[in-house]
Amino acid sequence: MSTMIEYIPDWSTWGMAGIALLVPILGHLLYQKVYHFIGTGTHLHDAAPTTPSEPSSEAGNTFSGNYDKDLCYIQDKLGANSDVCFREFTLHQLGVRGTLLYVDGMQNDRLLQLKIMTFLMYEATAEKLASPSTDEAGLPFLQLQEASNLDGFNHAILFGHFGLLIEGMPIGLLIEQPDARNRPILEPLSEALLRGPRVGFTEILSENTSMLRRQGMSDQLEITSYRVGTRMQRDLVLAYMKDLVNPDLLKEVQTRIERMDMDFFAESGYVEQLIEDNYLSPFQQVQNTERPDRVINALMEGRVAILLDGTPFALIVPATFSMLLQSPEDYYERWLPSSLLRIMRFGAAFLALMAPALYISFISFHPGLIPTELAISIIETRQGVPFPSLIEVLILEVAIEILREAGIRLPKPIGPAMGIVGGLIIGDAAVQAGIVSPFLVIVVAVTAISSFSIPTYSAGITLRMLRFIGMVFAAVLGIFGTILFFLLLCSHLSKLKSFGVPYLTPITPFRMRDWKDLFFRAPLSLMKRRPAMMKTQQNKRKS
Amino acid sequence: MARCIRMLLLSCLMTLLLTSCWSSQEIENLALYSGLALDVGEPAPIEKEFEAKGATYPKQNKVMATVQIVPVKTIGTNSQKQQDQKKPYINISGSGDSILEIFRQFSIRLDQPIIGHHLKVIVVSAELLKQQPIGNVMDFLLRDNDIRPSTMVFVSQGSAKATMESNIASEVPSFHIMGMLRNRSRTSKVLKPVTLSRLDSLIYSERSFMLQNLVTGGEEVELSGAGIIKGSSGKWIGTLNQTDTQCLAWIRNEGTAGTIKVNEGNNNVITYELEDMKSKVTPKVDGDDISFHVELSTEGRIIEVWNDQAPSSSHLNEEEVSQLIKKQLKDMTEESIRKLQKKYQTDVAGFGNRLAIKYPSVWRKVKDRWDEVFSDSEVTFSYELQITDFGSFIED
Repeated sequence: MSTMIEYIPDWSTWGMAGIALLVPILGHLLYQKVYHFIGTGTHLHDAAPTTPSEPSSEAGNTFSGNYDKDLCYIQDKLGANSDVCFREFTLHQLGVRGTLLYVDGMQNDRLLQLKIMTFLMYEATAEKLASPSTDEAGLPFLQLQEASNLDGFNHAILFGHFGLLIEGMPIGLLIEQPDARNRPILEPLSEALLRGPRVGFTEILSENTSMLRRQGMSDQLEITSYRVGTRMQRDLVLAYMKDLVNPDLLKEVQTRIERMDMDFFAESGYVEQLIEDNYLSPFQQVQNTERPDRVINALMEGRVAILLDGTPFALIVPATFSMLLQSPEDYYERWLPSSLLRIMRFGAAFLALMAPALYISFISFHPGLIPTELAISIIETRQGVPFPSLIEVLILEVAIEILREAGIRLPKPIGPAMGIVGGLIIGDAAVQAGIVSPFLVIVVAVTAISSFSIPTYSAGITLRMLRFIGMVFAAVLGIFGTILFFLLLCSHLSKLKSFGVPYLTPITPFRMRDWKDLFFRAPLSLMKRRPAMMKTQQNKRKS
Repeated sequence: MARCIRMLLLSCLMTLLLTSCWSSQEIENLALYSGLALDVGEPAPIEKEFEAKGATYPKQNKVMATVQIVPVKTIGTNSQKQQDQKKPYINISGSGDSILEIFRQFSIRLDQPIIGHHLKVIVVSAELLKQQPIGNVMDFLLRDNDIRPSTMVFVSQGSAKATMESNIASEVPSFHIMGMLRNRSRTSKVLKPVTLSRLDSLIYSERSFMLQNLVTGGEEVELSGAGIIKGSSGKWIGTLNQTDTQCLAWIRNEGTAGTIKVNEGNNNVITYELEDMKSKVTPKVDGDDISFHVELSTEGRIIEVWNDQAPSSSHLNEEEVSQLIKKQLKDMTEESIRKLQKKYQTDVAGFGNRLAIKYPSVWRKVKDRWDEVFSDSEVTFSYELQITDFGSFIED
């Protein structure tokens, strides 16, 4: 008995064990507290802030049938807008007055406008106007809608439709979709490829969805539409392959989209931030892309794409960690070089995250881990450096980050010149002045270049941010801290989920089948099935 | 309550800031020592001056340790450094009774703490090993966590401190010694290095072994032969010359290359270059009698011939030449074994190992007095020599 008591640890050991137990529990509580404090950003209680895709049909003023009264009402509501044009004319066949209403700049086809005017003024007959949307005697317009009430009519005109009001008719006609000027389709700026299609999404939603349609002929590509935003509404579409997508996933995405509560969605980033699982995580759980081919590839894997009007960035959900380091080019090039490049990208991501932290821990804590010759040359070059390694690294890293941030904002012709000035001159001058050691310049340069090789810009920012945390860990605890930091990251990642799919699949939970497309990109002949993690309706890729 | 928790959390976070950088030491503020020389205890000249002024502590001066610190501290950036071609290392010596105590004594003389992670070479003088068993001298170095088990150990004829000096500017002697081992690919006179981890096992098993011998002359160092450490006492008992070293390396099957030179007649020199050398030691046990048979086989070429009569090598008779070389080889090996058995009475050629593998039961009986048993056992040789070519020459 006494020998057993001898082996019971003393109080200091128990105390340490207690602290080791308490730290993660307290951390978790703190995390929950913060999460609770900020809230989720979605309205769980209010189920229907968004409206279905049809133009809003809430109770408004109905058309009275009195031409002057209706026109007066419209003028009262819209007349303050200088860009709304009222074109009054007489329909000669009938001898009644009519008004064409439109917003300047939203209808650009001059020939079409001329035709409409000609038709209305000289050809329009009573029969045609009496039943505008029937097939035989209808008006010869491709797009024709009837507005049932005045407020809806006003909305539609402001959004760019041609509005037509005719004396003696108790309805407003909406003809021709808005046709604002669009920029040409360009190569995506943020995701350039050497091999692959050179189209990128534009700001016009209909053009973007048509780009998806044009990827191939399939009746299974389904695009459903939503209106989002409580104050200014915008179109948003979900695109998915009807026969592939997991119904549960689709339902989850739909629910989250419907729950979004925001007065205006300026960019798809708003959507991303409102539907993501964990906004405290440094990692993005929704992938954004400008490339239609990337979207369609994701759809073929059973994912869902979200496109918002007014932005060229489409969202792909669910996103997993491996997607951030994959490029569409991996599939376009042959499998051996693609696999090699992909492995290199994983290495580069590791360097971008850990290189400065490793430098600090080697220089300040573990000189024995550096090869002797290198240790000696580092000592020689660091002789005049007055700062500890953390400060030294911070100086240069912050300088590089400022340079990158400045580089984005600089006009195109100055950009490269600025890069040279910043990179070469500041680096060299800092070494000459003895603020930093030349070895560090190499480390920082390698880090910066590595972070450029990450194909997704947003993932690059995440790593850039985490790098600084890693540096602080390294400065406090050396290589132990660096490993601790890495373990913390890993434990966070393994807990993270994106729309119910674990973020680290197929590494954990382990899915052997999906490893063929993780570090390696297996030959296409081996890719017989869709990713197991998506739990698609149809598993086989090949017939 | 919530306020209380908030304060508590805040104070927890504050403690993180207090920790700052635990145990961080910038690399440029450390003094790496790459070489260590151990000599017979005697105060170094500077120490004598200190002692004359009363700066001393109680000690018996059993050992003198010299550490080689690289690189030398310079002021300013590297552009100014190139101008003065000073030595890139500093040697600092101290004497005392315990190596760790001497090292700590350096801390009151240097501005930086010394760290042993990058120790490459340890040289122990033969004189010191005559007085002290190697186990005592190396004890700290084996226990210390910083010092790598891959550190190489040498013995020096004469002062060990002198091997840590070099007259070549911009060369660090400890790196030079380590670099010399790369020449094992050219001559088997360079032995397979004894690392600290190997030394540990050798000391523990009380087996006799060889350490590469360093000889200094005019601030240059040569690897010459090997010092023999007797297993039972742990002390140095003598030196083997270069030829013996070459032969023993061959017998231990550790050689890779070398030369055999035959002086034939008055001015005829024939040199045979060993391209491949192998050995097979077969122990034989007959009752209490233990004997060994060593098969040495080699492949090589005749690469240099000095001949008074015929300038061309084409006249050389292959059979004749190989007989000459074999005879030379026989003389060399038998002389080496005779030296081991009669003069030093130790087995450093690995015969004991072979016996232990082949006849473990016999080995268990004799292993405590193996050196004596070995001295009485018979060693026979057989040679196999294959001359592959005679180099290139013009046929006449």
